[in-house]
Amino acid sequence: MRRLRVGVLIVLVLLMLLVPQLGGDYYVHVFALVFTNVILAASLRPSLTCGQLNIGHSAFMSVGAYASALLAKNLAVSFEVSMLCGALLAAVVGLVIGYPSLRLRGVYFAMVTVAFVEVIRLIAQLWVPLTRGMSGLSGIPKPNLLGVTLVTKASQYYLALFLMLLTLLILWKLESSRLGLIWKSIGMADNLAQSLGVNIANHKLLAFLLGCFFAGVAGAFYAHFIRFLFPPEFGFLMATNILVYNYVGGRGHFAGPIVGAAFLSLLSEPFRGSAYETIFFSIAMLLTILFLPGGLITLPGKLAELRGWKSASAHSPSPAA
Amino acid sequence: MEERIRSQSEPRGVSSALLLETHGLTRHFGGLAAVNRVDLRVAEGEIVGLIGPNGAGKTTCFNLLSGFIRPTAGTIRFHGEDISRLRPHQVVKRGLVRTFQLTTLFQELTGLENVLLGLHLHSRRSLGRALFSRRRFPPDEVARSREVLEFTGLASQADQLARNLPHGHQRVLGIAMALAARPRLLLLDEPVTGMNLDESGRVMALVKTIRDRGVTVLLVEHNMKAVMGTCERIVVLNFGQTLAEGSPAEVSTNAKVIEAYLGAGLAHARG
Repeated sequence: MRRLRVGVLIVLVLLMLLVPQLGGDYYVHVFALVFTNVILAASLRPSLTCGQLNIGHSAFMSVGAYASALLAKNLAVSFEVSMLCGALLAAVVGLVIGYPSLRLRGVYFAMVTVAFVEVIRLIAQLWVPLTRGMSGLSGIPKPNLLGVTLVTKASQYYLALFLMLLTLLILWKLESSRLGLIWKSIGMADNLAQSLGVNIANHKLLAFLLGCFFAGVAGAFYAHFIRFLFPPEFGFLMATNILVYNYVGGRGHFAGPIVGAAFLSLLSEPFRGSAYETIFFSIAMLLTILFLPGGLITLPGKLAELRGWKSASAHSPSPAA
Repeated sequence: MEERIRSQSEPRGVSSALLLETHGLTRHFGGLAAVNRVDLRVAEGEIVGLIGPNGAGKTTCFNLLSGFIRPTAGTIRFHGEDISRLRPHQVVKRGLVRTFQLTTLFQELTGLENVLLGLHLHSRRSLGRALFSRRRFPPDEVARSREVLEFTGLASQADQLARNLPHGHQRVLGIAMALAARPRLLLLDEPVTGMNLDESGRVMALVKTIRDRGVTVLLVEHNMKAVMGTCERIVVLNFGQTLAEGSPAEVSTNAKVIEAYLGAGLAHARG
Protein backbone atom coordinates (compact mmCIF):
# COMPACT_ATOMS: atom_id res chain seq x y z
CA MET A 1 0.00 0.00 0.00
CA ARG A 2 2.75 2.39 1.02
CA ARG A 3 4.80 1.42 -2.02
CA LEU A 4 1.77 2.00 -4.26
CA ARG A 5 1.29 5.47 -2.82
CA VAL A 6 4.96 6.38 -3.30
CA GLY A 7 4.70 5.09 -6.89
CA VAL A 8 1.64 7.22 -7.60
CA LEU A 9 3.41 10.25 -6.15
CA ILE A 10 6.49 9.73 -8.34
CA VAL A 11 4.33 9.37 -11.48
CA LEU A 12 2.42 12.53 -10.57
CA VAL A 13 5.61 14.54 -10.06
CA LEU A 14 7.02 13.24 -13.38
CA LEU A 15 3.81 14.24 -15.16
CA MET A 16 4.00 17.69 -13.61
CA LEU A 17 7.62 18.00 -14.79
CA LEU A 18 6.47 17.19 -18.32
CA VAL A 19 3.58 19.68 -18.54
CA PRO A 20 5.61 22.40 -20.34
CA GLN A 21 6.81 19.80 -22.88
CA LEU A 22 3.36 18.30 -23.47
CA GLY A 23 1.13 21.36 -23.35
CA GLY A 24 1.44 24.91 -24.55
CA ASP A 25 1.78 28.14 -22.60
CA TYR A 26 -1.91 28.00 -21.72
CA TYR A 27 -1.52 24.82 -19.67
CA VAL A 28 1.68 26.10 -18.12
CA HIS A 29 -0.17 29.20 -16.98
CA VAL A 30 -3.16 27.30 -15.62
CA PHE A 31 -1.06 24.77 -13.73
CA ALA A 32 1.19 27.40 -12.19
CA LEU A 33 -1.94 29.01 -10.74
CA VAL A 34 -3.18 25.61 -9.58
CA PHE A 35 0.10 25.15 -7.70
CA THR A 36 -0.36 28.56 -6.07
CA ASN A 37 -3.83 27.52 -4.95
CA VAL A 38 -2.45 24.25 -3.59
CA ILE A 39 0.07 26.17 -1.46
CA LEU A 40 -2.71 28.41 -0.17
CA ALA A 41 -5.04 25.53 0.65
CA ALA A 42 -2.38 23.35 2.29
CA SER A 43 -1.05 26.24 4.37
CA LEU A 44 -4.49 26.82 5.87
CA ARG A 45 -4.64 23.23 7.09
CA PRO A 46 -2.56 23.48 10.31
CA SER A 47 -4.81 26.25 11.61
CA LEU A 48 -7.95 24.35 10.60
CA THR A 49 -6.61 21.24 12.32
CA CYS A 50 -6.35 23.26 15.54
CA GLY A 51 -10.03 24.05 15.14
CA GLN A 52 -9.53 27.66 14.05
CA LEU A 53 -11.85 28.74 11.26
CA ASN A 54 -9.74 31.24 9.33
CA ILE A 55 -11.81 32.97 6.62
CA GLY A 56 -9.13 35.51 5.87
CA HIS A 57 -6.22 33.60 4.43
CA SER A 58 -6.12 35.64 1.20
CA ALA A 59 -5.15 38.72 3.25
CA PHE A 60 -1.76 37.15 4.00
CA MET A 61 -1.32 36.23 0.35
CA SER A 62 -2.00 39.89 -0.44
CA VAL A 63 0.63 41.07 2.06
CA GLY A 64 3.23 38.71 0.58
CA ALA A 65 2.32 39.67 -2.97
CA TYR A 66 2.47 43.44 -2.45
CA ALA A 67 5.61 43.31 -0.31
CA SER A 68 7.52 41.15 -2.77
CA ALA A 69 6.30 43.10 -5.80
CA LEU A 70 7.19 46.50 -4.32
CA LEU A 71 10.62 45.34 -3.18
CA ALA A 72 11.44 43.96 -6.63
CA LYS A 73 9.94 46.86 -8.53
CA ASN A 74 11.26 49.78 -6.48
CA LEU A 75 14.47 48.38 -5.03
CA ALA A 76 15.36 45.73 -7.63
CA VAL A 77 15.60 43.06 -4.98
CA SER A 78 15.98 39.51 -6.32
CA PHE A 79 13.05 37.10 -6.09
CA GLU A 80 14.42 34.80 -3.39
CA VAL A 81 14.94 37.79 -1.06
CA SER A 82 11.72 39.61 -1.90
CA MET A 83 9.73 36.39 -1.53
CA LEU A 84 11.23 35.68 1.90
CA CYS A 85 10.61 39.26 2.99
CA GLY A 86 7.01 39.06 1.76
CA ALA A 87 6.43 35.75 3.55
CA LEU A 88 8.04 37.02 6.76
CA LEU A 89 6.00 40.22 6.63
CA ALA A 90 2.86 38.11 6.18
CA ALA A 91 3.87 36.14 9.27
CA VAL A 92 4.53 39.32 11.26
CA VAL A 93 1.14 40.71 10.26
CA GLY A 94 -0.25 37.30 11.26
CA LEU A 95 1.39 37.65 14.66
CA VAL A 96 -0.13 41.08 15.20
CA ILE A 97 -3.63 39.90 14.29
CA GLY A 98 -3.29 36.35 15.67
CA TYR A 99 -1.85 37.01 19.10
CA PRO A 100 -4.92 38.79 20.47
CA SER A 101 -7.59 37.01 18.43
CA LEU A 102 -6.52 33.36 18.71
CA ARG A 103 -7.85 33.41 22.25
CA LEU A 104 -11.28 33.74 20.71
CA ARG A 105 -13.06 30.55 19.85
CA GLY A 106 -14.92 29.29 16.81
CA VAL A 107 -17.14 31.82 15.16
CA TYR A 108 -15.63 34.82 16.99
CA PHE A 109 -12.20 34.11 15.56
CA ALA A 110 -13.77 33.58 12.13
CA MET A 111 -15.41 37.02 12.37
CA VAL A 112 -12.09 38.68 13.16
CA THR A 113 -10.48 37.08 10.12
CA VAL A 114 -13.34 38.18 7.86
CA ALA A 115 -12.99 41.75 9.07
CA PHE A 116 -9.24 41.52 8.61
CA VAL A 117 -9.49 40.58 4.92
CA GLU A 118 -11.48 43.74 4.33
CA VAL A 119 -9.00 45.86 6.31
CA ILE A 120 -6.07 44.60 4.23
CA ARG A 121 -8.01 45.09 1.00
CA LEU A 122 -8.88 48.65 1.98
CA ILE A 123 -5.28 49.42 2.89
CA ALA A 124 -4.15 48.16 -0.53
CA GLN A 125 -6.92 50.20 -2.14
CA LEU A 126 -6.36 53.45 -0.25
CA TRP A 127 -2.57 53.62 0.13
CA VAL A 128 -2.34 54.93 -3.42
CA PRO A 129 1.23 56.34 -3.36
CA LEU A 130 2.57 52.88 -2.51
CA THR A 131 0.15 50.38 -4.05
CA ARG A 132 -1.40 52.55 -6.80
CA GLY A 133 -4.77 51.67 -5.26
CA MET A 134 -7.56 50.75 -7.66
CA SER A 135 -5.42 51.47 -10.71
CA GLY A 136 -3.62 48.28 -9.79
CA LEU A 137 0.08 47.69 -9.37
CA SER A 138 1.61 46.95 -12.76
CA GLY A 139 5.10 46.58 -14.14
CA ILE A 140 6.17 44.01 -11.57
CA PRO A 141 9.40 42.40 -12.81
CA LYS A 142 9.56 38.73 -13.74
CA PRO A 143 11.06 36.57 -11.02
CA ASN A 144 14.82 37.08 -10.83
CA LEU A 145 16.14 33.98 -9.13
CA LEU A 146 19.80 33.87 -8.05
CA GLY A 147 20.72 36.45 -10.69
CA VAL A 148 18.82 34.75 -13.51
CA THR A 149 15.59 36.28 -14.77
CA LEU A 150 13.00 33.60 -15.47
CA VAL A 151 11.80 34.92 -18.81
CA THR A 152 9.74 32.04 -20.14
CA LYS A 153 6.44 30.87 -18.75
CA ALA A 154 7.86 27.37 -18.58
CA SER A 155 10.71 28.38 -16.27
CA GLN A 156 8.24 30.23 -14.02
CA TYR A 157 6.11 27.11 -14.03
CA TYR A 158 9.04 25.12 -12.67
CA LEU A 159 9.55 27.74 -9.97
CA ALA A 160 5.89 27.32 -8.93
CA LEU A 161 6.26 23.55 -8.94
CA PHE A 162 9.39 23.76 -6.80
CA LEU A 163 7.77 26.14 -4.32
CA MET A 164 4.70 23.94 -4.04
CA LEU A 165 6.67 20.74 -3.52
CA LEU A 166 8.91 22.38 -0.92
CA THR A 167 5.93 23.84 0.95
CA LEU A 168 4.10 20.53 0.91
CA LEU A 169 7.20 18.66 2.10
CA ILE A 170 7.66 21.01 5.06
CA LEU A 171 3.98 20.98 5.99
CA TRP A 172 3.85 17.21 5.65
CA LYS A 173 6.87 16.68 7.89
CA LEU A 174 5.38 18.97 10.51
CA GLU A 175 1.97 17.37 10.37
CA SER A 176 3.34 13.86 10.74
CA SER A 177 5.53 14.84 13.68
CA ARG A 178 4.55 15.34 17.31
CA LEU A 179 3.61 18.91 16.41
CA GLY A 180 0.91 17.64 14.05
CA LEU A 181 -0.37 15.33 16.75
CA ILE A 182 -0.64 18.29 19.12
CA TRP A 183 -2.55 20.31 16.49
CA LYS A 184 -5.00 17.43 16.07
CA SER A 185 -5.37 17.09 19.83
CA ILE A 186 -6.22 20.79 20.20
CA GLY A 187 -8.84 20.47 17.45
CA MET A 188 -10.40 17.42 19.08
CA ALA A 189 -10.44 18.37 22.78
CA ASP A 190 -8.55 21.50 23.74
CA ASN A 191 -9.37 21.17 27.45
CA LEU A 192 -7.83 17.71 27.55
CA ALA A 193 -4.76 18.93 25.64
CA GLN A 194 -4.36 21.70 28.22
CA SER A 195 -4.69 19.23 31.05
CA LEU A 196 -1.73 17.32 29.61
CA GLY A 197 0.42 20.42 29.67
CA VAL A 198 -0.04 21.70 26.11
CA ASN A 199 0.17 25.48 25.86
CA ILE A 200 -2.69 25.69 23.41
CA ALA A 201 -2.42 29.44 22.80
CA ASN A 202 1.20 29.12 21.62
CA HIS A 203 0.52 26.07 19.45
CA LYS A 204 -2.48 27.68 17.78
CA LEU A 205 -0.38 30.76 17.10
CA LEU A 206 2.45 28.71 15.59
CA ALA A 207 0.03 26.84 13.30
CA PHE A 208 -1.51 30.15 12.26
CA LEU A 209 1.85 31.84 11.58
CA LEU A 210 3.04 28.92 9.47
CA GLY A 211 -0.07 29.37 7.35
CA CYS A 212 0.54 33.11 7.02
CA PHE A 213 4.16 32.53 5.98
CA PHE A 214 3.30 30.11 3.19
CA ALA A 215 0.36 32.23 2.04
CA GLY A 216 2.96 34.98 1.71
CA VAL A 217 5.13 32.65 -0.41
CA ALA A 218 2.15 31.92 -2.68
CA GLY A 219 1.43 35.64 -2.93
CA ALA A 220 5.00 36.49 -3.85
CA PHE A 221 5.03 33.96 -6.67
CA TYR A 222 1.65 35.14 -7.88
CA ALA A 223 2.81 38.76 -7.99
CA HIS A 224 5.85 38.04 -10.19
CA PHE A 225 3.95 35.57 -12.34
CA ILE A 226 0.82 37.61 -13.16
CA ARG A 227 2.83 40.87 -12.79
CA PHE A 228 -0.28 42.84 -11.95
CA LEU A 229 -1.92 43.22 -8.53
CA PHE A 230 -5.43 44.49 -8.00
CA PRO A 231 -6.69 44.86 -4.39
CA PRO A 232 -10.20 43.30 -4.76
CA GLU A 233 -8.65 40.10 -6.08
CA PHE A 234 -7.52 39.18 -2.57
CA GLY A 235 -10.90 39.81 -1.02
CA PHE A 236 -13.38 37.73 0.88
CA LEU A 237 -14.20 35.61 -2.18
CA MET A 238 -10.68 34.25 -2.54
CA ALA A 239 -10.48 33.64 1.20
CA THR A 240 -13.63 31.53 1.14
CA ASN A 241 -12.34 29.69 -1.92
CA ILE A 242 -9.24 28.63 0.05
CA LEU A 243 -11.51 27.34 2.80
CA VAL A 244 -13.73 25.56 0.26
CA TYR A 245 -10.65 23.79 -1.18
CA ASN A 246 -10.07 22.30 2.28
CA TYR A 247 -13.65 21.19 2.83
CA VAL A 248 -14.28 19.84 -0.67
CA GLY A 249 -10.95 18.02 -0.69
CA GLY A 250 -11.45 16.66 2.81
CA ARG A 251 -10.38 17.65 6.28
CA GLY A 252 -9.30 14.19 7.41
CA HIS A 253 -6.03 13.83 5.52
CA PHE A 254 -3.06 15.90 4.42
CA ALA A 255 -3.96 15.24 0.78
CA GLY A 256 -7.42 16.81 1.23
CA PRO A 257 -6.61 20.47 0.52
CA ILE A 258 -4.23 19.44 -2.29
CA VAL A 259 -6.91 17.40 -4.03
CA GLY A 260 -9.55 20.05 -3.34
CA ALA A 261 -7.45 22.91 -4.69
CA ALA A 262 -6.34 21.01 -7.79
CA PHE A 263 -9.81 19.66 -8.56
CA LEU A 264 -11.71 22.90 -8.06
CA SER A 265 -9.22 25.20 -9.76
CA LEU A 266 -8.95 22.95 -12.80
CA LEU A 267 -12.68 22.38 -13.06
CA SER A 268 -13.57 26.04 -12.57
CA GLU A 269 -10.99 27.15 -15.15
CA PRO A 270 -13.61 27.67 -17.92
CA PHE A 271 -15.55 30.04 -15.64
CA ARG A 272 -12.52 31.92 -14.27
CA GLY A 273 -13.26 35.57 -13.65
CA SER A 274 -16.95 35.29 -14.49
CA ALA A 275 -19.88 35.27 -12.08
CA TYR A 276 -20.34 31.56 -12.80
CA GLU A 277 -17.17 30.78 -10.85
CA THR A 278 -18.90 31.62 -7.56
CA ILE A 279 -21.95 29.56 -8.50
CA PHE A 280 -19.70 26.68 -9.44
CA PHE A 281 -17.91 26.81 -6.09
CA SER A 282 -21.18 26.93 -4.18
CA ILE A 283 -22.55 23.93 -6.02
CA ALA A 284 -19.34 21.96 -5.52
CA MET A 285 -19.41 22.73 -1.80
CA LEU A 286 -23.08 21.75 -1.48
CA LEU A 287 -22.67 18.51 -3.39
CA THR A 288 -19.65 17.52 -1.30
CA ILE A 289 -21.39 18.24 2.00
CA LEU A 290 -24.42 16.25 0.87
CA PHE A 291 -22.77 13.24 -0.68
CA LEU A 292 -19.18 13.16 0.57
CA PRO A 293 -19.05 14.77 4.00
CA GLY A 294 -15.44 13.56 4.37
CA GLY A 295 -14.45 15.30 1.14
CA LEU A 296 -13.16 14.05 -2.21
CA ILE A 297 -10.39 12.03 -0.60
CA THR A 298 -13.00 9.66 0.81
CA LEU A 299 -14.36 8.95 -2.68
CA PRO A 300 -12.15 5.90 -3.44
CA GLY A 301 -13.08 4.33 -0.11
CA LYS A 302 -16.77 5.03 -0.70
CA LEU A 303 -16.59 3.49 -4.18
CA ALA A 304 -14.81 0.39 -2.88
CA GLU A 305 -17.44 0.08 -0.16
CA LEU A 306 -20.19 0.36 -2.74
CA ARG A 307 -18.59 -2.26 -4.97
CA GLY A 308 -18.04 -4.60 -2.02
CA TRP A 309 -21.64 -4.19 -1.01
CA LYS A 310 -22.81 -4.95 -4.57
CA SER A 311 -20.70 -8.05 -4.97
CA ALA A 312 -21.67 -9.22 -1.50
CA SER A 313 -25.35 -8.93 -2.34
CA ALA A 314 -24.76 -10.71 -5.64
CA HIS A 315 -22.98 -13.64 -3.97
CA SER A 316 -25.27 -14.12 -1.01
CA PRO A 317 -28.94 -13.88 -1.95
CA SER A 318 -31.12 -12.29 0.70
CA PRO A 319 -32.92 -14.72 3.03
CA ALA A 320 -36.25 -13.78 1.50
CA ALA A 321 -35.20 -15.05 -1.95
CA MET B 1 6.77 6.69 37.02
CA GLU B 2 10.12 5.11 37.80
CA GLU B 3 11.32 8.18 39.70
CA ARG B 4 8.22 8.23 41.80
CA ILE B 5 8.33 4.64 42.96
CA ARG B 6 8.44 4.52 46.70
CA SER B 7 9.52 1.55 48.67
CA GLN B 8 6.51 -0.42 49.83
CA SER B 9 7.76 -0.54 53.40
CA GLU B 10 7.84 3.21 53.80
CA PRO B 11 4.98 4.29 56.04
CA ARG B 12 2.39 6.36 54.33
CA GLY B 13 -0.70 8.25 55.34
CA VAL B 14 -1.55 11.48 57.04
CA SER B 15 1.77 11.63 58.84
CA SER B 16 3.75 12.39 55.66
CA ALA B 17 4.26 15.79 54.09
CA LEU B 18 1.36 17.95 52.97
CA LEU B 19 1.13 17.95 49.16
CA LEU B 20 -1.98 19.99 48.45
CA GLU B 21 -3.53 22.60 50.69
CA THR B 22 -6.34 24.98 49.93
CA HIS B 23 -7.16 27.83 52.21
CA GLY B 24 -10.59 29.46 52.11
CA LEU B 25 -11.04 28.37 48.49
CA THR B 26 -14.09 30.17 47.09
CA ARG B 27 -15.64 30.49 43.67
CA HIS B 28 -18.75 32.48 42.87
CA PHE B 29 -20.81 32.07 39.70
CA GLY B 30 -22.93 35.20 39.67
CA GLY B 31 -24.57 35.23 43.08
CA LEU B 32 -24.00 31.53 43.72
CA ALA B 33 -21.05 30.33 45.75
CA ALA B 34 -20.31 27.06 43.99
CA VAL B 35 -17.33 26.50 46.27
CA ASN B 36 -17.38 28.34 49.58
CA ARG B 37 -14.36 28.63 51.90
CA VAL B 38 -13.14 25.10 51.43
CA ASP B 39 -9.98 24.04 53.28
CA LEU B 40 -8.73 20.90 51.66
CA ARG B 41 -5.60 19.05 52.72
CA VAL B 42 -4.04 16.13 50.90
CA ALA B 43 -0.88 14.51 52.24
CA GLU B 44 1.67 12.75 50.09
CA GLY B 45 0.76 9.11 49.46
CA GLU B 46 -2.91 9.33 50.36
CA ILE B 47 -6.00 8.30 48.44
CA VAL B 48 -8.59 10.92 49.28
CA GLY B 49 -12.21 10.85 48.13
CA LEU B 50 -14.20 14.00 47.49
CA ILE B 51 -17.91 13.21 47.65
CA GLY B 52 -21.18 15.02 47.96
CA PRO B 53 -24.63 15.23 46.42
CA ASN B 54 -25.07 16.61 42.89
CA GLY B 55 -24.22 20.29 42.73
CA ALA B 56 -22.12 20.17 45.88
CA GLY B 57 -19.19 21.80 44.09
CA LYS B 58 -16.92 18.80 43.46
CA THR B 59 -16.31 19.45 39.79
CA THR B 60 -15.88 23.20 40.39
CA CYS B 61 -13.30 22.22 42.99
CA PHE B 62 -11.42 20.12 40.41
CA ASN B 63 -11.61 22.92 37.85
CA LEU B 64 -10.13 25.31 40.42
CA LEU B 65 -7.34 22.95 41.42
CA SER B 66 -6.36 22.26 37.81
CA GLY B 67 -6.37 25.92 36.79
CA PHE B 68 -9.31 25.81 34.39
CA ILE B 69 -11.09 28.44 36.44
CA ARG B 70 -9.67 30.97 38.88
CA PRO B 71 -10.78 31.24 42.50
CA THR B 72 -12.82 34.26 43.56
CA ALA B 73 -10.99 34.10 46.88
CA GLY B 74 -8.63 31.81 48.73
CA THR B 75 -5.39 30.10 47.81
CA ILE B 76 -4.25 26.74 46.49
CA ARG B 77 -0.80 25.61 47.55
CA PHE B 78 0.83 22.66 45.87
CA HIS B 79 4.08 21.51 47.42
CA GLY B 80 4.29 24.84 49.20
CA GLU B 81 3.88 26.89 46.03
CA ASP B 82 0.84 29.07 45.39
CA ILE B 83 -0.70 27.77 42.16
CA SER B 84 -4.09 29.49 42.36
CA ARG B 85 -3.31 31.92 39.52
CA LEU B 86 -1.65 29.48 37.12
CA ARG B 87 -3.10 28.36 33.81
CA PRO B 88 -3.90 24.66 33.22
CA HIS B 89 -0.73 23.77 31.32
CA GLN B 90 1.38 25.41 34.03
CA VAL B 91 -0.38 23.48 36.78
CA VAL B 92 0.34 20.20 34.99
CA LYS B 93 4.01 21.12 34.78
CA ARG B 94 4.17 21.13 38.58
CA GLY B 95 2.84 17.58 38.74
CA LEU B 96 -0.86 18.07 39.37
CA VAL B 97 -2.67 16.19 36.60
CA ARG B 98 -6.41 15.71 36.19
CA THR B 99 -8.73 13.47 34.22
CA PHE B 100 -12.18 14.42 32.98
CA GLN B 101 -15.67 13.17 33.60
CA LEU B 102 -17.15 10.93 30.93
CA THR B 103 -14.99 10.03 27.99
CA THR B 104 -12.95 13.08 27.16
CA LEU B 105 -10.34 11.57 24.88
CA PHE B 106 -8.78 12.33 21.52
CA GLN B 107 -11.39 10.15 19.85
CA GLU B 108 -9.90 10.06 16.35
CA LEU B 109 -6.42 9.09 17.54
CA THR B 110 -5.16 5.65 18.55
CA GLY B 111 -4.61 4.56 22.12
CA LEU B 112 -0.87 4.89 21.66
CA GLU B 113 -1.15 8.39 20.19
CA ASN B 114 -3.37 9.43 23.09
CA VAL B 115 -0.73 8.32 25.58
CA LEU B 116 2.05 9.91 23.50
CA LEU B 117 0.22 13.20 23.95
CA GLY B 118 0.19 12.54 27.67
CA LEU B 119 3.99 12.54 27.45
CA HIS B 120 3.87 16.04 26.03
CA LEU B 121 5.73 17.70 28.89
CA HIS B 122 8.49 15.12 28.88
CA SER B 123 9.19 14.98 25.18
CA ARG B 124 12.00 16.73 23.42
CA ARG B 125 10.53 18.53 20.49
CA SER B 126 11.60 21.25 18.13
CA LEU B 127 10.82 22.39 14.63
CA GLY B 128 14.20 21.08 13.49
CA ARG B 129 13.51 17.65 14.89
CA ALA B 130 10.08 17.64 13.27
CA LEU B 131 11.51 18.60 9.88
CA PHE B 132 14.62 16.48 9.70
CA SER B 133 13.96 13.36 11.75
CA ARG B 134 13.04 10.28 9.80
CA ARG B 135 10.94 8.87 12.62
CA ARG B 136 7.53 10.26 13.58
CA PHE B 137 8.22 9.86 17.29
CA PRO B 138 11.42 9.15 19.22
CA PRO B 139 11.58 5.40 19.98
CA ASP B 140 12.04 6.01 23.71
CA GLU B 141 8.77 7.95 23.85
CA VAL B 142 6.94 5.19 22.03
CA ALA B 143 8.46 2.61 24.38
CA ARG B 144 7.48 4.70 27.39
CA SER B 145 3.90 5.02 26.10
CA ARG B 146 3.67 1.28 25.54
CA GLU B 147 4.88 0.78 29.11
CA VAL B 148 2.05 2.94 30.43
CA LEU B 149 -0.47 1.08 28.27
CA GLU B 150 0.93 -2.22 29.58
CA PHE B 151 0.67 -0.99 33.18
CA THR B 152 -2.97 0.02 32.73
CA GLY B 153 -3.85 -3.20 30.89
CA LEU B 154 -4.45 -1.57 27.53
CA ALA B 155 -1.44 -2.96 25.66
CA SER B 156 -3.59 -4.84 23.16
CA GLN B 157 -5.58 -1.70 22.37
CA ALA B 158 -2.58 0.44 21.42
CA ASP B 159 -3.48 0.71 17.74
CA GLN B 160 -7.25 1.01 18.10
CA LEU B 161 -8.89 4.38 17.59
CA ALA B 162 -9.99 5.68 20.98
CA ARG B 163 -13.61 6.00 19.86
CA ASN B 164 -13.73 2.29 19.03
CA LEU B 165 -12.73 1.18 22.53
CA PRO B 166 -15.36 -0.10 24.95
CA HIS B 167 -16.51 2.42 27.55
CA GLY B 168 -14.49 0.93 30.42
CA HIS B 169 -11.28 0.95 28.39
CA GLN B 170 -11.89 4.53 27.30
CA ARG B 171 -12.02 5.61 30.93
CA VAL B 172 -8.81 3.72 31.74
CA LEU B 173 -7.14 5.30 28.70
CA GLY B 174 -7.96 8.68 30.24
CA ILE B 175 -6.08 7.61 33.37
CA ALA B 176 -3.19 6.23 31.29
CA MET B 177 -2.74 9.59 29.56
CA ALA B 178 -2.68 11.38 32.90
CA LEU B 179 -0.10 8.88 34.17
CA ALA B 180 2.12 9.51 31.15
CA ALA B 181 2.33 13.13 32.29
CA ARG B 182 4.03 11.82 35.48
CA PRO B 183 1.78 13.26 38.16
CA ARG B 184 2.65 13.72 41.81
CA LEU B 185 -1.01 14.25 42.48
CA LEU B 186 -3.63 12.66 40.26
CA LEU B 187 -7.13 14.15 40.23
CA LEU B 188 -9.62 11.56 39.01
CA ASP B 189 -13.06 12.89 38.07
CA GLU B 190 -15.59 10.06 38.40
CA PRO B 191 -13.25 7.26 37.26
CA VAL B 192 -15.78 4.42 37.62
CA THR B 193 -19.12 6.09 36.94
CA GLY B 194 -21.16 4.04 34.50
CA MET B 195 -19.06 0.90 34.96
CA ASN B 196 -20.26 -2.49 36.09
CA LEU B 197 -19.07 -4.06 39.34
CA ASP B 198 -16.29 -6.03 37.68
CA GLU B 199 -14.89 -3.06 35.73
CA SER B 200 -15.07 -0.64 38.65
CA GLY B 201 -13.30 -3.19 40.87
CA ARG B 202 -10.44 -3.39 38.39
CA VAL B 203 -10.14 0.38 38.08
CA MET B 204 -10.09 0.86 41.84
CA ALA B 205 -7.39 -1.80 42.11
CA LEU B 206 -5.45 0.16 39.48
CA VAL B 207 -5.88 3.33 41.54
CA LYS B 208 -4.35 1.54 44.54
CA THR B 209 -1.42 0.32 42.46
CA ILE B 210 -0.86 3.84 41.18
CA ARG B 211 -0.75 5.12 44.76
CA ASP B 212 1.60 2.32 45.78
CA ARG B 213 3.92 3.54 43.05
CA GLY B 214 4.08 6.89 44.77
CA VAL B 215 1.35 8.98 43.18
CA THR B 216 -1.08 10.70 45.53
CA VAL B 217 -4.72 10.43 44.42
CA LEU B 218 -7.69 12.73 44.93
CA LEU B 219 -10.88 11.42 43.39
CA VAL B 220 -14.48 12.47 42.91
CA GLU B 221 -16.90 9.56 42.60
CA HIS B 222 -20.56 8.78 43.04
CA ASN B 223 -20.11 5.02 43.36
CA MET B 224 -20.04 4.78 47.16
CA LYS B 225 -18.90 1.17 47.23
CA ALA B 226 -15.84 2.12 45.20
CA VAL B 227 -15.13 5.21 47.29
CA MET B 228 -15.53 3.45 50.66
CA GLY B 229 -13.41 0.52 49.55
CA THR B 230 -10.51 2.55 48.18
CA CYS B 231 -10.15 5.90 49.91
CA GLU B 232 -8.39 6.26 53.22
CA ARG B 233 -9.91 9.62 53.89
CA ILE B 234 -13.08 11.20 52.62
CA VAL B 235 -14.11 14.83 52.38
CA VAL B 236 -17.83 15.50 52.02
CA LEU B 237 -18.97 18.68 50.28
CA ASN B 238 -22.49 20.06 50.41
CA PHE B 239 -23.64 23.38 48.93
CA GLY B 240 -20.03 24.28 48.27
CA GLN B 241 -18.90 23.84 51.85
CA THR B 242 -17.08 21.11 53.72
CA LEU B 243 -19.68 19.10 55.60
CA ALA B 244 -17.55 16.37 57.10
CA GLU B 245 -14.13 14.81 56.86
CA GLY B 246 -12.70 11.54 58.10
CA SER B 247 -12.21 7.84 57.49
CA PRO B 248 -14.85 5.99 55.44
CA ALA B 249 -16.31 4.54 58.65
CA GLU B 250 -16.54 7.94 60.34
CA VAL B 251 -18.07 9.62 57.32
CA SER B 252 -20.63 6.92 56.63
CA THR B 253 -21.99 7.12 60.18
CA ASN B 254 -21.91 10.92 60.36
CA ALA B 255 -25.48 12.15 60.93
CA LYS B 256 -24.95 15.33 58.87
CA VAL B 257 -23.71 13.32 55.91
CA ILE B 258 -26.63 10.92 56.03
CA GLU B 259 -28.97 13.89 56.23
CA ALA B 260 -27.36 15.55 53.21
CA TYR B 261 -27.61 12.41 51.13
CA LEU B 262 -30.91 10.98 52.25
CA GLY B 263 -32.81 13.95 53.62
CA ALA B 264 -33.50 14.98 57.19
CA GLY B 265 -36.50 12.66 57.68
CA LEU B 266 -34.52 9.48 57.29
CA ALA B 267 -31.73 10.69 59.56
CA HIS B 268 -34.32 11.28 62.25
CA ALA B 269 -35.89 7.93 61.60
CA ARG B 270 -32.53 6.27 62.12
CA GLY B 271 -32.24 8.20 65.33
